[in-house]
Amino acid sequence: MANDRPWTAFYGPSVPSSIDDMPYRSLGDFITSIAAVYGDLPAFTTVLPNGMNGTLTFRQADEMSDALAVYLRDIAGLQAGDRVAVQVPNCLSYPVAAMAVFKAGCVLVNVNPLYTADEMAKQFIDAEPAAVIVVDMFADKLAEAVKTYPVKHVIVTRVAEYLPRLPKMIVGMVQKHWDKSVLPISIPHIRLPDAVAAGRAKHDSLHNAIEAYRSTISPDDVACLQYTGGTTGVSKGAMLSHANILMNMAQTMSLITNLEKGREVALTALPLYHIFAFTVNFLGFYSIGARNILIPNPRPLSNLKRAFENYKITWMSGVNTLFNGLNNEVWFLDTPPKYLKFASAGGMALQTSVAERWEQVTGKPVLEGYGLTESSPVLTFNPFGQVRHGSIGVPIPSTDVRCVDDDGVDVPQGQPGEVIAKGPQIMLGYWRKPEETAKTIQNGWLLTGDIGTMDADGYFRIVDRKKDMILVSGFNVYPNEIEDIIAAHPDVTEVAVIGVPDGAAGEAVKAYVVARNEGLSKDDLRAYCKEHLTGYKVPKFVEFRDELPKSNVGKILRKDLRAQEQAQAA
Amino acid sequence: MVGPLEQAILALMIFVIMLGMGASLTPRDFALALKRPYGLGVGVVAQFGFMPLIGFALATTLPVSDTIKIGILIMACMPGGTTSNIFTYFSKGNLALSVLMTVTSTVFGVILIPVVLLVYAGALDLDIPRENIVVTLVLLLVPVAIGMVLRKVSANVGAVTEFFGSLLALFFILFLIVSWIPRNWEFLLATTWGTYFASIMLGLFGFGIGYGFAKLLRLHPRNARTVALETGIQNGPLAIAIIAFTFSGSEAQAVMAVPVLYSLFIVMSSAALTLWFRRINTAAEQPLPNGLL
Repeated sequence: MANDRPWTAFYGPSVPSSIDDMPYRSLGDFITSIAAVYGDLPAFTTVLPNGMNGTLTFRQADEMSDALAVYLRDIAGLQAGDRVAVQVPNCLSYPVAAMAVFKAGCVLVNVNPLYTADEMAKQFIDAEPAAVIVVDMFADKLAEAVKTYPVKHVIVTRVAEYLPRLPKMIVGMVQKHWDKSVLPISIPHIRLPDAVAAGRAKHDSLHNAIEAYRSTISPDDVACLQYTGGTTGVSKGAMLSHANILMNMAQTMSLITNLEKGREVALTALPLYHIFAFTVNFLGFYSIGARNILIPNPRPLSNLKRAFENYKITWMSGVNTLFNGLNNEVWFLDTPPKYLKFASAGGMALQTSVAERWEQVTGKPVLEGYGLTESSPVLTFNPFGQVRHGSIGVPIPSTDVRCVDDDGVDVPQGQPGEVIAKGPQIMLGYWRKPEETAKTIQNGWLLTGDIGTMDADGYFRIVDRKKDMILVSGFNVYPNEIEDIIAAHPDVTEVAVIGVPDGAAGEAVKAYVVARNEGLSKDDLRAYCKEHLTGYKVPKFVEFRDELPKSNVGKILRKDLRAQEQAQAA
Repeated sequence: MVGPLEQAILALMIFVIMLGMGASLTPRDFALALKRPYGLGVGVVAQFGFMPLIGFALATTLPVSDTIKIGILIMACMPGGTTSNIFTYFSKGNLALSVLMTVTSTVFGVILIPVVLLVYAGALDLDIPRENIVVTLVLLLVPVAIGMVLRKVSANVGAVTEFFGSLLALFFILFLIVSWIPRNWEFLLATTWGTYFASIMLGLFGFGIGYGFAKLLRLHPRNARTVALETGIQNGPLAIAIIAFTFSGSEAQAVMAVPVLYSLFIVMSSAALTLWFRRINTAAEQPLPNGLL
């Protein structure tokens, strides 16, 4: 394959076609080196719905995470390679916790704060964490979970951690007495600031403790166990090494050329426990000295209003649901962000209608990317200025992407095939699941399970998930295509399409629709689809719903709809 | 019925509350309301078109004395009261529009109040005390401006001011109800049903007509809620002050009955309306995935 990376033509003049040398040995090295450059600039700012806020500078975050790392290793007695679960929403404690785990040479296990006690216990049994850093709002569930899997060390933090005293007090009072979201904690624990203080005191008495921990870390050591349900439902921990994450961060940031070091303000409304926000928002924007605006809870969306009013947001990331939601918020339409350069979308397919509306409202593009937890996560992105709607863009530097048939042979250009990828960001494997790993990584290629196409320029499109494909009388129908059409209907807020068993045709297309306008009828919608789609793609069944089942990151869960459908049929 | 100490305390409280309100606003909010003066125009029409008409209808149909009728009419012709801003804030309405509407109706009031009073009361020879209007404006705008500056200087100071301002506002509303009723018990017992009816219904009809009118003109729900509260809530203290300056002795007391009762009941009915508005606001919130997104 002579020109097997045709996409590099779209990178822009300053973008390298590959990233060859690793800039840092470990994430700890990276964090400290960057902090030395940006020192007293603001690195992280938590913004609450009422505008109350707190900030850590690069230097502070670095120093505090040093102290916490010492606490973990030399006071709590953790060893290199021990897992530390972090169950914290977006707030100042998150960067301190995550950075400390890396510096201590331990393995970060991100836990979704909204997990039930059962889900937490399951993840603990698999990951076997030696310590957990948890936000007080969810400590009651932790108390349940540790009955199943006892975690030795519990460090408790709060959303308003490191805010100035008065706002912190007010938030504490409101949480305790008004919305009662914080209950008394029944299990033995230490507060994060106390752990940091203890670690700091110990740090002073030790000589170069942090350097000592770091010197034992090699780039291929596991940094993160990032759990992913995949679509199979079995939760697996993707082992991401220091090199995986650092490389993916460098690959992704190298493609973005219109950012100014030390001057950007990034809005992080997506949860940091999600790999997209983790690698791109948290680490990627940290690497260029940006200020990260952390939103603990973006629901309702009016929670973002003060952040947009009080800070000159220059970049934000989101998922389709977030962009669609903002497109429908009156305050956002009234005063769209003035300083925004562009937005990045990932996590799920960005609908063309949503992307176009966003561009109308803000005057700035939203660039769609694509990736998987297993690839740390970014594989492709739309280069700035070279956006193609409906496309996931081109592979990022040092990444190869192909579309293959069931035998692993490349399909002709433009034809749909399973997307497979290779690059330095592909995970080491699944934690303690060699069979699953063998199914997913073959000959060094990650099988994504997504069906995609590549055009002559090397731009990729995801047609659909392999297992979401609907077979109507022998024709392949891809739900995304139909959803994209229906979502563009002015009376439709949201839509999900699945295949349902249907006698002669094998399967039939069924659309679940959340209507904006009660007057919208099934026939209207089918007539509208007929205008835009070939006959066999038009949904045979339409069902109106008040809402659609969604994952914690806002992905619409087709598998839940399929399960409901099966339960009804049975 | 309303002593000077009470008035001073009220003025101070309103000052602090408006400081908190200001801290929730940015100049952009005002620029937006001014850029679309539609809502503003609707408010002025509702304030000086509908309210006096409602007052006139109540005065002519209810079995009340002439002095009470004058009280009803004066109350109906008043500009918007500052408490409307508080209730708009808690209703999640458009606060900048509310503040602008209060200011606009007060300014327009200088000309329009005598005109509508003339139209409806024939030749009521009333002198509108301008200094009262100036005081109202200062009471309203200066703390709002200071609050906005506070927020600009520090978002945290702004948010804390807003928090305490809104706590005080709740306290203020309770204070009005709890402090006034026991001390005026006899007056309350001696008042006839017609006077009560006028005092309560003036505000309720105002809410209904203001809301209906705004809805009819397809204003955004946020703005419709604002117009409703702005129309129904009149400047009670201004009416009392005007009457105190214009009438004397027992006549003044009788004319004042409706404004005083109105001020009492409007606090309760606005509070109830605010609770309802909050409910529909929450219901209209975009459904988002049940997670941290």
